[in-house]
Amino acid sequence: MNISASRLIYRAILRLHPSAFRDEFAPDMLWIFDQEHGQGTTAHLLLDGTISLLRQRCRLRNNPGQLSIASGVLITGPGISPLRLLQATIVLSLICFSCLFLEKSLNASVLWSDRMPCYTVTLRAPSHAEVVLQPTP
Amino acid sequence: MQAKPPKSPPLSSATLHILLALAGGNLHGYGIIKEVARNSEGHYRLGPGTLYDNLKKLMDTGLVADLPPASSRRKSASTKEDDRRFYTLTRQGKEILASEVDRLQAVVTKAKLRLQEARTGRA
Repeated sequence: MNISASRLIYRAILRLHPSAFRDEFAPDMLWIFDQEHGQGTTAHLLLDGTISLLRQRCRLRNNPGQLSIASGVLITGPGISPLRLLQATIVLSLICFSCLFLEKSLNASVLWSDRMPCYTVTLRAPSHAEVVLQPTP
Repeated sequence: MQAKPPKSPPLSSATLHILLALAGGNLHGYGIIKEVARNSEGHYRLGPGTLYDNLKKLMDTGLVADLPPASSRRKSASTKEDDRRFYTLTRQGKEILASEVDRLQAVVTKAKLRLQEARTGRA
């Protein structure tokens, strides 16, 4: 994938994180992405950013005015602008394509439970460590 | 009879690796990622999302603290890395890490015993 395109996607993923988390950590996360993306870890970084987005959003799903993503379904509250909704839709579409790509190309299996945030993602690519997320209490 | 102090639950792999990395000294986020990869000989690789998600939880629980920029900057170097936030292990973090290491040591000891029993045919 083109570096500028993957960086744009990663920035979009960061942009969708809750503002408190984004303000605190997004600049450092983007800096780390810039350091790492030349080492053939772009897919891993995008997947990691997506998982982080899901985790942060799932924690805020009960807060009014926040956007939550659960099992690939958008749950919107009051105060969500159409632009943010469009951003979320684009990113979710990219996530779906990325998951399909990973499953087909990198021998990875992505398993989603029907109860978010209880989910398990297992990546078995030759060059990556196995990633297993435990259910959030 | 005196009640036993409550034991802390086992740490997740990511948390354990982050605390272990910080036990060697104050590090910024990318420094932690590199230290974790080095400690695990490349077998465990943290992504920035996983790292900061865990760091936030660790800071919320008081096991890790971020340092003010002035105290975290190194005197010799003035690279872009100096602008990053540095993190340090708190006293409570050190205690939790030590207790986790003890727990893992007990597991290893028990596992070795079981394997030895299996080898000698007494299992």
